[in-house]
Amino acid sequence: MALRELSSLEKCLGLKKPNKYGTQGERKVPVLQNNNGAPLVGLVTIASHLVHEAKKTVLLGNSAEERAVVQQWLEYRIARVDNCPKDELKVILKELNHYLEDKVYIAGNVFTLADILMYYGIHRIVVELAIQEKERYLNVTRWFDHIQHYPGVRHHLPPVVVLRNRVYPSGHH
Amino acid sequence: MKLFVGEGNPHSVKVLAVLELTGVKCDVQLVNNEERVVPYLTRPVLPVLLLPSGQHLFSPNTICQYLFDVSGRKATDATNQWMEWEITDLQPAVLQALHMMALQGKRSEAAAVMKEPLSHLEQNLRKTSTQFLTSDVITVADIVLWAALYPILSDPSFDAGDLRCVRGWFDGVDVQSACQTAAQKVLHGKSSEALKTFLQKLPATQTQRRDGQTSTN
Repeated sequence: MALRELSSLEKCLGLKKPNKYGTQGERKVPVLQNNNGAPLVGLVTIASHLVHEAKKTVLLGNSAEERAVVQQWLEYRIARVDNCPKDELKVILKELNHYLEDKVYIAGNVFTLADILMYYGIHRIVVELAIQEKERYLNVTRWFDHIQHYPGVRHHLPPVVVLRNRVYPSGHH
Repeated sequence: MKLFVGEGNPHSVKVLAVLELTGVKCDVQLVNNEERVVPYLTRPVLPVLLLPSGQHLFSPNTICQYLFDVSGRKATDATNQWMEWEITDLQPAVLQALHMMALQGKRSEAAAVMKEPLSHLEQNLRKTSTQFLTSDVITVADIVLWAALYPILSDPSFDAGDLRCVRGWFDGVDVQSACQTAAQKVLHGKSSEALKTFLQKLPATQTQRRDGQTSTN
């Protein structure tokens, strides 16, 4: 899973030459084999490295504050979303939904690596949601739909059908 | 800018040590561990850094990296990799081990849980020629790992086995006055004893064996 994700990220970043990857340990942590140095280990570490390689560091944030927000949600992805027990999924959706209430992207008004990796990580959760649940987590759904249509992001993942219009008229329930 | 920390909260040790080390100006407020500082998170989380823009930073490692960043020291691949390892590998083992040590008195079991991450660290330190983890100057990765291991390695009854390089590196970070001050402030030098209340409030999912969970990768 993580390897397909990294390969999609490479394409999304416009990196022409694919890197060589392996995995290590029971959790199959991704490893980037590096010709001119020690291998790099870990999804977020490798993803951030690829962004530098592609010279698209704006995706990691433009200011110290933006960089921190991006890092924080990348951490949230690997610490909370990955390996999340089933009964915790609702908590994650609730928190993200609340957080995204007044935001276009995770870091506010700019598209960053946090959007890409959160989208890859949360896809398996959103794909399982019933229509009513998509309604309940409307901000997550709106953000998710926005990212899956963002040029060059989706790649290995099937699109999730999201109703653009609310099923029930708003403001009456 | 305002930093909220909690008594007996091991993650608060990290951020206070980095704050002291970097000299960044910031108000510090000690709050109850039950207080919900971040409106959109379901459970109370500490430490939290409230930025002037109103944005909350609620991840201890991110707060540490941010404080280093504003003092002109950027993250590198090497520091990122240790920080990620701390979150995915070290932290779950530490929480489980502390739970066993402080609440159940199971010291040998705790040592068994810590064996894998500690030997990973030992092997890597054996290969490095620098004084600290990634360079000859202390980085955010040193502080983050030191603070995670502090309640365990500073407990004299914890038998870590033969970890010459880990001990050498740990003591090198531990002697920094910033680290000593932070540990005193939060844990009052009593290590795992002081963590009892903090550990009792943690959700069980964070302190139990992770083997049962299926990997999504």
